[in-house]
Amino acid sequence: MGIQEQYISEAAGLLASGAVKLVIGYCEGSTPDRRRPVFVRTPAEAERLMLDGACVANLSTYLITEGLLSDGKSVAVFLKPDGIRSINILAAEAQINPEQVVIFGFDIENGQARTLAGRKASDFTSVVEAAKAAGLSADLQKESERLVQMSAEERFEYWKEQFSKCIKCYACRQVCPMCYCRRCIVDVNQPQWVNTSSHTLGNFEWNIVRAFHLAGRCVACGGCDRSCPVNIPLRLINHRMAKEVLDAFDYYAGESTDQKPVLATFRQDDPETFIL
Amino acid sequence: MSEPFEPKIVAFVCTYCTYAGADLAGTSRMKYASNVRIVRLPCTGRISPMFILKALQKGADGVLVSGCHPGDCHFAQGNYHARRRWTVFRALLAFTGIPEQRIRFSWISAAEGAKFAELINTLTEDIRKLGPFEQYHELQKVIETQSTY
Amino acid sequence: MSRILLKNKLDDCIAAWRSAGFSVLAPVRRSDLSRFDEVERSADMALDLVLPERTIKDHFFPQTEPLIKYKIKKHDIDSQEMLPPDMKRVFFGVRPCDASGLAIDDPLFGWDYKDEYWFKRRDNAVIVTIACTASDDFCMCTSVKLDPDSTKGSDVMLRPLQNGNGWQVEALTDRGNALLGPVASFLQEGSEAPAPVASVPVRFDVDRVMEWLADPASFESHFWKEISLRCIGCGSCTFLCPTCHCFDIQDEGDTFSGIRRKNWDSCSFAMFTMHTSGHNPRNTQSTRWRQRIMHKFNYYRGKFGVNSCSGCGRCTRQCPVDMGITETLQAITNLPK
Repeated sequence: MGIQEQYISEAAGLLASGAVKLVIGYCEGSTPDRRRPVFVRTPAEAERLMLDGACVANLSTYLITEGLLSDGKSVAVFLKPDGIRSINILAAEAQINPEQVVIFGFDIENGQARTLAGRKASDFTSVVEAAKAAGLSADLQKESERLVQMSAEERFEYWKEQFSKCIKCYACRQVCPMCYCRRCIVDVNQPQWVNTSSHTLGNFEWNIVRAFHLAGRCVACGGCDRSCPVNIPLRLINHRMAKEVLDAFDYYAGESTDQKPVLATFRQDDPETFIL
Repeated sequence: MSEPFEPKIVAFVCTYCTYAGADLAGTSRMKYASNVRIVRLPCTGRISPMFILKALQKGADGVLVSGCHPGDCHFAQGNYHARRRWTVFRALLAFTGIPEQRIRFSWISAAEGAKFAELINTLTEDIRKLGPFEQYHELQKVIETQSTY
Repeated sequence: MSRILLKNKLDDCIAAWRSAGFSVLAPVRRSDLSRFDEVERSADMALDLVLPERTIKDHFFPQTEPLIKYKIKKHDIDSQEMLPPDMKRVFFGVRPCDASGLAIDDPLFGWDYKDEYWFKRRDNAVIVTIACTASDDFCMCTSVKLDPDSTKGSDVMLRPLQNGNGWQVEALTDRGNALLGPVASFLQEGSEAPAPVASVPVRFDVDRVMEWLADPASFESHFWKEISLRCIGCGSCTFLCPTCHCFDIQDEGDTFSGIRRKNWDSCSFAMFTMHTSGHNPRNTQSTRWRQRIMHKFNYYRGKFGVNSCSGCGRCTRQCPVDMGITETLQAITNLPK
């Protein structure tokens, strides 16, 4: 049985027995290469589920939909290691109860989906450990090298050009499982810290603030980068933040459901090379 | 231009150490550059990165953030949290092209009036050499003109 | 016989228009994004695109624009209007869907109050549209009763020639005619055949959709919740739509001085209908999605006699979760009667 058939059968089983009230997965999109999120509630509907190498979106973002888990029932969701880390972070930040989440784990290798064994977030500890050991994306590191080689002025010009495209659609924020604030800082107007207008300055401020609020929380699922309608390489900024917390604090987001947030904790011997 | 450029520097400081140190510099009649505008917070732990962005938006050419030495925080842990925040935010600003030399961090205790005065003087000269933060201020100027469309 | 513009004369035309005081804007690829921007040579134009990612709406209703500069003094307030500068512009290579978007929005901006910011730009712009000979899986102009060669909103229509060497030229309005004046010597008479227009399949029954939306019972239907489950509430579809026009007024500045701005706003945002009291009449994504569809195919039609959709398909093309209005309207079309 292929991975897709296996999970369809499991999903149908869990729904039929009432073990879960909902399965969040992927189904075909408006074109053959697209997959879209689907919400399956009956065993019959489970036939719509698909799982292949095109299923890249991080579906954990739907778990924080207001009221979804408030009835105490369980929800099953298809997740790759990045999504599993998202569950850990959401649980650690007290946004969801990980016991209510049944994970259909998978990973994509050479364009194919393969199963990851486990059902609860805690079953995937070794998967996350392996991900941490593998290090951050070498491709992203290479891409950001080009920027790091530039002078500060050149880098500023680069980001100025990129951020001038931003239209403040907030797709990056909406798709991100970590952006769950009821009122985002940019929507706070007493006081107005960040300019809401989408002129380049406002865009600069918005993107810097969001990157900072994701430092040590981003799992590099790529959702923000893929959703950006104007193709701003957000992945580079979030990667830089992930690298900083790893280098400075040996911190890798989403290791467990009780990992303390990186900026809410400290060590007395934290590095301070730049402080005068 | 015959007059030297006078940088605008904003300093976000904690009450119990750096502000007291600045006060000591004053009462000891130590001279230091008047380019700095001091904003007093209870603790560096209160300092949000928003403040730094706001200062830049309002025309600052340089920003200093300063507080108690680790272990001496009046609120016990505020500066440890601040230190982590600064490490991360500094890397972010540098990555987006905001020069590291313009945003500085220091530990200055209540007894270090001389260190405060010296640091302000050094910082002012450093920023003077760098010049006004034109790249950032340009963004604000553009807003104030007509829409390019 | 008709007027023909050959591709190798395009640079001459651009130069002539520029000498006549126009800036020429065309589809370009810049910084990893396709949009309309000023060009000086035809080589900079990306006319091969089925549709640029951003619309020409941006140039008439910018994502952010200053309205008034103000200074609060002791006894009065100094204010200074910041109208758009005088500028004559040619938009070359517009797609019929984008051009009709402008025509669809005209009645709104001139409804109870003439929006000078829109009309100052609109009245000084000439729209030169190129009919579509290619489309993609997301185009749906034919579904909303438009065509790949609709003339709505355009001043000049260019039809690509079968032989690929240029376009058949047709002036549609006085403004279009006037634009062809400075370049008349670069046009020639010819009988080259135009290439066939793109074949865009009809994807939903818009009459059926409007009928269902007009039925009061449909408003409370569970359909809305089901169809919008995956919507994440970003503003991509609204901001990239040629006809969406909602905006927010924001004052930016400090206690005594600042600039009042008009910024894009989106009905998809949770805060869109948030009242100061904290009450939000549309506090679920499904109610917001319902509003979007009702507005475009019922309310706007009721007020201005036209649907607020030009069928460009960007809403689905760019949606992070593959939504957009096509799927919803197809679902409505397929609802049991």
